[in-house]
Amino acid sequence: MRWFGFGFNAFQQIQASKNSENSGLDADKTRLSSPTELRGHVNKDGGYFELTQIRASWSRRAFLHLDEPACVCLEGSVNDSCREVLKRSCGCKDVFISESQITLAFPDRIECWDLQRNDDTPSWSMDTQSEGSAVSLPLVPGGYIASKSPFFHSLSPHMQAKSLALGGDHVILLTAAGAVYTWGQGSHGQLGHGALLSEEEPRTVEALWGMKMSSVSAGGWHSVCISDAGDLYVWGWNESGQLGLPSQNLRKISERKAHQQGELSQNSSTYQEEVFISIQAFPALLDVTPLCEVKAVGCGSRHTAAVTTSGDLYTWGWGGYGQLGHQSFSSLDEPQRVEFFRVQQLRVVGVECGPWNTFAAVTKEEGLAPEHPTKPLNKHGE
Amino acid sequence: MTSLWSKISCALPTDEEQFPLQFSDKVEPSVVEILKRCRKQLYGNAAGASLNLNAQIVLDVSWERLNTGTWRHVDKEWRRVYSYGCLFKVAALCRENPSQEEVLQAVRTCDMGLLMGAAIMDDILQALVHILQNEIGRTSKEEEKSVEVVAKKLKTESPRSPSIREDKAVPRIKCPSLESFSTNYLLPLKPVILEGIIDHWPALNNHPWSIEYLRSVAGFRTVPVEVGSRYTDEDWSQTLLTVNQFIDSFILNEVSQDGGKSRGYLAQHQLFDQIPELKEDIRIPDYCCLGEGDEDDITINAWFGPAGTVSPLHQDPQQNFLAQVVGSKYIRLYSPDDTDKLYPHQSQLLHNTSQVEVENPDAELFPEFSKAPYLECVLEPGDVLFIPVKHWHYVRSLALARPIIASNLSWRGSTKQDKGIIKAYKSSAAQLMRSHINNLHVELSDKENLQKEDLHTFKEIRNKNFRLLCSLLFKATTQK
Repeated sequence: MRWFGFGFNAFQQIQASKNSENSGLDADKTRLSSPTELRGHVNKDGGYFELTQIRASWSRRAFLHLDEPACVCLEGSVNDSCREVLKRSCGCKDVFISESQITLAFPDRIECWDLQRNDDTPSWSMDTQSEGSAVSLPLVPGGYIASKSPFFHSLSPHMQAKSLALGGDHVILLTAAGAVYTWGQGSHGQLGHGALLSEEEPRTVEALWGMKMSSVSAGGWHSVCISDAGDLYVWGWNESGQLGLPSQNLRKISERKAHQQGELSQNSSTYQEEVFISIQAFPALLDVTPLCEVKAVGCGSRHTAAVTTSGDLYTWGWGGYGQLGHQSFSSLDEPQRVEFFRVQQLRVVGVECGPWNTFAAVTKEEGLAPEHPTKPLNKHGE
Repeated sequence: MTSLWSKISCALPTDEEQFPLQFSDKVEPSVVEILKRCRKQLYGNAAGASLNLNAQIVLDVSWERLNTGTWRHVDKEWRRVYSYGCLFKVAALCRENPSQEEVLQAVRTCDMGLLMGAAIMDDILQALVHILQNEIGRTSKEEEKSVEVVAKKLKTESPRSPSIREDKAVPRIKCPSLESFSTNYLLPLKPVILEGIIDHWPALNNHPWSIEYLRSVAGFRTVPVEVGSRYTDEDWSQTLLTVNQFIDSFILNEVSQDGGKSRGYLAQHQLFDQIPELKEDIRIPDYCCLGEGDEDDITINAWFGPAGTVSPLHQDPQQNFLAQVVGSKYIRLYSPDDTDKLYPHQSQLLHNTSQVEVENPDAELFPEFSKAPYLECVLEPGDVLFIPVKHWHYVRSLALARPIIASNLSWRGSTKQDKGIIKAYKSSAAQLMRSHINNLHVELSDKENLQKEDLHTFKEIRNKNFRLLCSLLFKATTQK
């Protein structure tokens, strides 16, 4: 598969600048508003790696080719201690990254390394040889790994945790039975329990009870999950439209811009009739597109990206660094398709978000009717 | 005539080496890297666009940290980073012949740094805003037009000034000694109005506070404003406006186009830290020194709003002096001993606020309220009301042609940052309540058999049902 990235690129974590100087990075390249192909995903035979794991933090992108025993690679803000860690990463099966540390899952052990200190040993490690089960970071046998000390948090085995996502200040968990639990800070509705209180212990999201969920994701202050049926549920803070619900902030900004550009100034009370949502404390069902279901979703700090069964990528939320991929730096409070992939006839099959950028995995489209025919018809219409 | 940029340059360190960028390891090296790029671009010849973008990166990343966790626990280092972001942003805006709009944006940026950041480099943002304000004053007298003023008439209805019952009046005393105040009121926690103790304030003498004066001193400064009649209302919200916009929209003009009243209140804001020129017009009363803390524990808040703004009955965890400067307020006080008759909200966020509308109580819902003893007063300019700790107080600005400005000096600071959360909570609840309630949630079981059109209808019904379920759950979990 091939990977494309767009959004925040101040550390060249998506694409290296042609300008070799370190200091003066082109303003152009600091943010990429259109999907850009990632290099380094071609194996020695010249073909693409079939299966690559990508994880992104604010200033870095980590990737791991799972086809063959390989090391983890890092792009972006890479210092000496990063390089040391990478040397020891061969044979790794899963990787997870935050701004301050990297977690590596090997077949027999899991290690957390501090990316800011040049240590000889990992800051935390765990032996997993006896467990044998597949690891899905940040879930580990018996619990999960947080991004700051204490790293390991235990989880009751009764939960039967299947996957877990770490938000800015909260955690969302999916169980094998398809139930969703949340805990952590709740002041922006990101826990979905209806009140704005924090929870210290995992608490089930009651509103989703009875519906089997298949995946969960967490952004800075919002949470998202996909049901078995391919529906998307969102809750949390909507200050940049990251929930795909009408956002008053965005309306104000577009009004202010219109005014500055000399268009007729509007009475500030016109938008008071619409219903705006700044905090959604309960899960809300979001229709990404009426045409098909959602297959995968990723959350950045204040934006959301969803892959549909039809192979399209939809993005919405904060767009200030081009992380929505619509060739602009505007934010959106409604899901919009990233046309680039349609035009290039690429089928999006996966998505991964860093805090301020988005990465999409694509395969070549087979048998999809192109929007623009590739061959002109001859005069007989054949 | 020296240009704006040369004046700003004088306020900045002479070169890169003199420009400090020291942070604890709470701030990741990658963020410091961006700050260093800003510094390099500030002193180098790079085009304004790069500095602007890098400054914005610093602002965005620190803004996210400031909004993570609770405000109380935000590391001061991130607030410093935010201030640096503001500093670099101001430099980017002002470096190349800034337009009037850019200078105003720079003032606003300084204010954001003063409101949300922490002092850096000898409070350089304060120095910069001073330079920028002089620049605005010099170049143009143009009024800001960003917020349209709909009706320009001044409100002149006669004041609904309640008559105060003798037996319920808050006692008044003129210039008591520190000792007698302490013995008779502070220690036994008894409310009292102190007269004559702020007569010497410049705000009441040679610098009388008026709308014109405030405009001249702080017209272009950005301040937090609460919109809505009271903070327990559904449509209550907080916004940032310049003082000019606030005066135009909410003081001079109180009726919006659709005829509904829209109240704005500059409430509980440490205005005097942000605008030191105003601080020179007031003095901290000696009586504040009688408190248990030291001078650092004294917080000075300003309250500036039109007639009719109401602070619902609530209590604060510290001792308060409310000094009235312009206009008057009706105030009612209840003792904390009678809290059981005041029906405080159960929720954690609002437990210091009563559910009762003091001047229009619902006798059915709150039967005990009328039995609660109280004291009341009309506070006039020059009066200072002592509100003992945890005493419940209700405040209504009285209808007069002039705005109400009061200074509330309190010590052992409280935080009502939670107010923003209260607003969001109420708005979310309201949205849920507005959904139609017809039938219960239905499981999507045989989706495969449905036609495409049916599927669409089915989804619509299911959306509605889902919202219904949420609202039912909400009713079950909240207490009245």
